Amino acid sequence: MLPYWLLIPAFVIVLATTIYPLAYSFVTSFREWDLTKQRRPDGFVGFDNYLHAASESGFQNSLWVTTIFVVTSVALTLVIAMSLALLLRRKGRMHTFTRIVLILPFAMSPALIGVSYRFMFNPEFGVLAKGLGAVFPALEGMPWLADPNLAMAILVLTDVWHWAPYMTFMCLGGLASIPRETEEAARIDGASYLRIFFGIILPQMKGVLLVTAVLKTIFALKMFDQVVTLTGGGPGTSTETLAFFVFNVGFKWYDMGYASALAWILTAIMMLISIWYVRMLLSDRKMATA
Amino acid sequence: MKRHLAWWGERALLVLVSVIVLFPIAWMFLTAFKRPRDAYSLSLDFSPTLQNFVTVFADPWNLGDMVLNSVIVATVTVLIAVPCASLAAYSFSRFRVRGRKFLFFLILSTQFIPAVVIVLPFFLMFRTLGLLDTRLALIVVNLAIVTPFVIWMIKGFIDAIPTDSEEAAMIDGASRLRVIKDIVLPMAAPGILTSSIFCFILTWNEFLFALILTRRDAVTLPVGLVSFRTERGDLWELMSAAGVMITVPIFIMALLIQKHFTRGMTAGAVK
Repeated sequence: MLPYWLLIPAFVIVLATTIYPLAYSFVTSFREWDLTKQRRPDGFVGFDNYLHAASESGFQNSLWVTTIFVVTSVALTLVIAMSLALLLRRKGRMHTFTRIVLILPFAMSPALIGVSYRFMFNPEFGVLAKGLGAVFPALEGMPWLADPNLAMAILVLTDVWHWAPYMTFMCLGGLASIPRETEEAARIDGASYLRIFFGIILPQMKGVLLVTAVLKTIFALKMFDQVVTLTGGGPGTSTETLAFFVFNVGFKWYDMGYASALAWILTAIMMLISIWYVRMLLSDRKMATA
Repeated sequence: MKRHLAWWGERALLVLVSVIVLFPIAWMFLTAFKRPRDAYSLSLDFSPTLQNFVTVFADPWNLGDMVLNSVIVATVTVLIAVPCASLAAYSFSRFRVRGRKFLFFLILSTQFIPAVVIVLPFFLMFRTLGLLDTRLALIVVNLAIVTPFVIWMIKGFIDAIPTDSEEAAMIDGASRLRVIKDIVLPMAAPGILTSSIFCFILTWNEFLFALILTRRDAVTLPVGLVSFRTERGDLWELMSAAGVMITVPIFIMALLIQKHFTRGMTAGAVK
């Protein structure tokens, strides 16, 4: 019985803090509940909240915004993390220093990252706005966060700055576990660096990169803090991600039924990705032990 | 000659990476020591002042209260999550009980639930119970995010410990609980410490829950940042001073366990 007893405390926490709220919001997603009018939820309305989502432009906009954000931030993070890992894999004093520096972005509060990039991209006195304008005259006087596309670009930039270092460590871990012999042999035979990378390193890193991609996708879908502190969803609704939209529906408009339905749509997307992820992880381990 | 060029190129890239990472942090630290009028100029020629720190700790900002809230919420969350997670991680790592795969799967999946889904029901529940704007409410919701994560991480560390000495002690008649206490705990200590610090960082930086569940009394540091956005505009020098207060403790912790830290990042996912 001991194995079960050891699991009980953690399971009580997980059940009470995640399974129960999930069930609660699932039920709420089928009810009408405007918190500004009623203290208690009204009757059940079937799939009305979900159907409302399908026809509402705010939700469709947030889906589109989220897709753009997730795709660009995941792609950029992966490419940068893999490149940095290749750069940092060798030993050397400067390599070690850079590796230590790379710990910092992960430890920094995302809300604070949003705030400080907002400061640096202020068109009047922001150091990056001014600095980029001085180096590239074409960027002089850009409205930065007041422009929908640039605001999205900066949002992606903050997210990549935050996560690429963490993902670099994951790639470094992967690189450390692949044997160097084939690579050395190819080098002695005079293969170019690009050929070694695409022919030898990349195929062996496939598993690690897949895991990194899925993890990053989930983090990107969850990303919320910088939207609040950097763009506030704006200009207009150009950076209103799904997570931010759910927050607005729930805690600005207090429409609990609709917010729950939206939250469940987000959960369903993430669940599908994470089920796929855990499956992949388990089968990967099977391959490793076989 | 070609090799020489590559050597310098690599160094130049390393410097560039460090600059890109360090610059935003350095700029915030500089701004925190600037007078208001210097904060709006890009000049590095300014006389440093501690006035911003004095201001944020005084009325009406009262950053001290937020520091206290953040410290209490993060510490208590760690103290509850880590011991429970360690026991579960040990069980997952060492026993082949029925349903183990399903349970582990369940725990892993909960890690990916968006925070906004969890906070909605808790907001309603805490409102009914009159627990909105309390540290207790924050601790409860933070456990939701942190516990699965810590179980996963500590399991990675325990998996890496060889079972030989445990088995030897059991043959000598030691009970399983004794073995956990005297053999496993000391060996897993660095891993548990690393996980605790990860857990502390996650809770310390947590923003969404605190934004929704607190108003005045239980506000934590990251949410406090938003309050420097006033009708007179954003008070950047004060925000930066508050930012320094948020980052310094975390940076110190992360750097202290630097070696384990990078290992911990990869432990769960890559192994």
